[in-house]
Amino acid sequence: MIQAGHKTVRKTVGLFAVLLMVLEWTRPGLSSPLRPICDLRVLDHFIKEAWDAEAAMRACKDACSIATNFTVPLTRVDFDVWEAMNIEEKAQEVQSGLHVLNEAIGSLQASNQTDVLQSHVDASISNIASIRQVLRSVSIPEYVPPASGGEDEETQKVSSISELFQVHSNFLRGKVRHLLASAPVCKQGVS
Amino acid sequence: MTKMRSNRLKIIFMLCLACVTTGGQHFESKVAQLLQDETEHIKCFVEGKDLTCFWEEEEERNHLHNQYTFTYSYENKNKMACAVSSLSLLASNKTIFFCKLAKTPFFTTLHVQVHRDGQKLYTRSLNAENFLFLDPPRNLTVLSSGKEGQLNVSWLPPQLKYMDDSMIYEVRYAAEGSDLGKVEVIKVSTMLVLLGLESDTRYKVWVRVKPDGVAYKGYWSAWTEPVFGVTPPSDVDPLIVLLVLSIGLILCLLSLTVILSHQKFLLKKLWPDIPTPEHKFPGLFTVYKGDFKEWMSHNNGSMWGRSVHVYTEELPSPLEVLSEVSLTSHDTSHREEVKPAEEDEEKESERSDSGLTDRWPDPPHAHWLMDQLRALQENPESHSQSSLLQSHDTYVTLNQGDIEQQADDVFEETLPLQTLFSSAGTPSLSISHSDLGSLQQSSGSGRLSSQSSLEYPNHTWPPKGPGYAYMAVADSGVSMDYSPMSSSRIAELGRHRIYTNDYKNEIFPHKWPLSGQYIKSG
Repeated sequence: MIQAGHKTVRKTVGLFAVLLMVLEWTRPGLSSPLRPICDLRVLDHFIKEAWDAEAAMRACKDACSIATNFTVPLTRVDFDVWEAMNIEEKAQEVQSGLHVLNEAIGSLQASNQTDVLQSHVDASISNIASIRQVLRSVSIPEYVPPASGGEDEETQKVSSISELFQVHSNFLRGKVRHLLASAPVCKQGVS
Repeated sequence: MTKMRSNRLKIIFMLCLACVTTGGQHFESKVAQLLQDETEHIKCFVEGKDLTCFWEEEEERNHLHNQYTFTYSYENKNKMACAVSSLSLLASNKTIFFCKLAKTPFFTTLHVQVHRDGQKLYTRSLNAENFLFLDPPRNLTVLSSGKEGQLNVSWLPPQLKYMDDSMIYEVRYAAEGSDLGKVEVIKVSTMLVLLGLESDTRYKVWVRVKPDGVAYKGYWSAWTEPVFGVTPPSDVDPLIVLLVLSIGLILCLLSLTVILSHQKFLLKKLWPDIPTPEHKFPGLFTVYKGDFKEWMSHNNGSMWGRSVHVYTEELPSPLEVLSEVSLTSHDTSHREEVKPAEEDEEKESERSDSGLTDRWPDPPHAHWLMDQLRALQENPESHSQSSLLQSHDTYVTLNQGDIEQQADDVFEETLPLQTLFSSAGTPSLSISHSDLGSLQQSSGSGRLSSQSSLEYPNHTWPPKGPGYAYMAVADSGVSMDYSPMSSSRIAELGRHRIYTNDYKNEIFPHKWPLSGQYIKSG
């Protein structure tokens, strides 16, 4: 009797251990929440790098010319209109704009460009990814592609790399920064 | 009802007028500043959330504002018009035309144009977020922090949304009456502690603000009105005072301890005693009031008797008086006296007097010599021939007695004497005369107990074997007139040391180390 009881206990423990190992290995999609990054100086760092890229592209004219057009997001911020929007609308506007910008700058990675241009392209792509992480930390909704599949109205066309990086810096300074400043998670601790 | 409505309208009108006036003051000052600083034809700035662009009327032209049209466009959209207004600046007597955009788009490129009578006058492309012209900071206060040389400065940022964390401030301060001022730049924070100020001084402080240049850019605002603050007077830290006093007290105690422990030494060094001869002349100054003759007459006998004990510093040199008269009767006694004298002299190590090298010991035959001298003094006639004190020519030559015993005492220094006085004399005692050759000698003593100098008889000097000649002169204060004598052995008389010391004489360089007794010629 006793020996049978011991065997049962051993089996249970073994199964439990195996289960833990399997769960640890698979790690089902529950991730630990990120600590909210409400300090705007983090975003200011990326904005400064965008300024540098814009200034570098403005100086580089002939070497940085390209034939194709870029689809870029709109960067305009009307404060009256902006203040009237809710957080989801703002988030969608910012997330879709980041998506479009990422694709436009990313298209330059494939083309053979100068080392200076390539370094700024790589830095901008990396910064957009970091900004997405920052927005995720303050619980800003992720980008949802439009269901209609049509072209987004909140875009425009530019024909030069300098204009592309100008749009990039304007977008970060405007919409992205004001969205982060108005994030509900960041305002909870402020009286 | 009608009256109430009219009253309300009046109140609203007054409020609007106040707002416009306030804004107008800032607006005119900003326009005036940009008229000087901005080089573009179309000068634009953002005040609040609205962009204002203006341009200056051409000289000696009186255009009307309705002759101008102002248009703007962005993001490839159609041009939009803006109403043009005019303003006359009283300070500079200029007229400007301006347009204020109602809904200013930020973070996008604006293309503005000015037309007059259908003709394009000016054009410009700009981003509105880069031309912020903020109002000066509010509620500037300057307070004393209580600490020396410090002032606490604080203020409030201009009323503007979204930009509280994007502002940079500049604080300027100067002492009242001074043109030289310093500037401190501070980011985001709206307070500052000024350090390194002069104590008890009145300072003027100004502050201005500007966007930090990351998200927004713009011009420096106007300076605030100066605010005064007074620094506290300098205050000596009581702890420092206490420490300084404690250290001073400790140093004083230490120096006092050192002085007291070396009191005698320091006194001797700083205030040396003036040597007085009183102790050598007992009763001379106290009893006889300095009359030496009287003192001598009264203390003659006792002085001699006590000379051994009284004169502690000057060791009396025993004298052997060379006399013409044969002193064979005293020969043995001399020998006896000489031997112990030599033995004593060997024991001497140093002398205390300056100038002389050896310390003359207290010879055992000093008493005999004293007696001899006493006898001489008492009976000068009988000893006239042998009295050296009175005669130039008399001196006594003594041998050491046993030649064998004294053989070891003969040094090489005696050889010159032997060579000089080559004629061998037989007796231990011989008569010498002063007219014989003399070897000059002087002892290097600065303290002459006797001025005498002795002469050697050269040819009658029998320096054979251990024999040597020496002369003793007793000094009782009477000066002797002796011719210079060389290499004579001088024995002690009592405790006195008697030397021949004539500075004019030359000195024999060698010593005469006879039984440890030296005649130092220097």
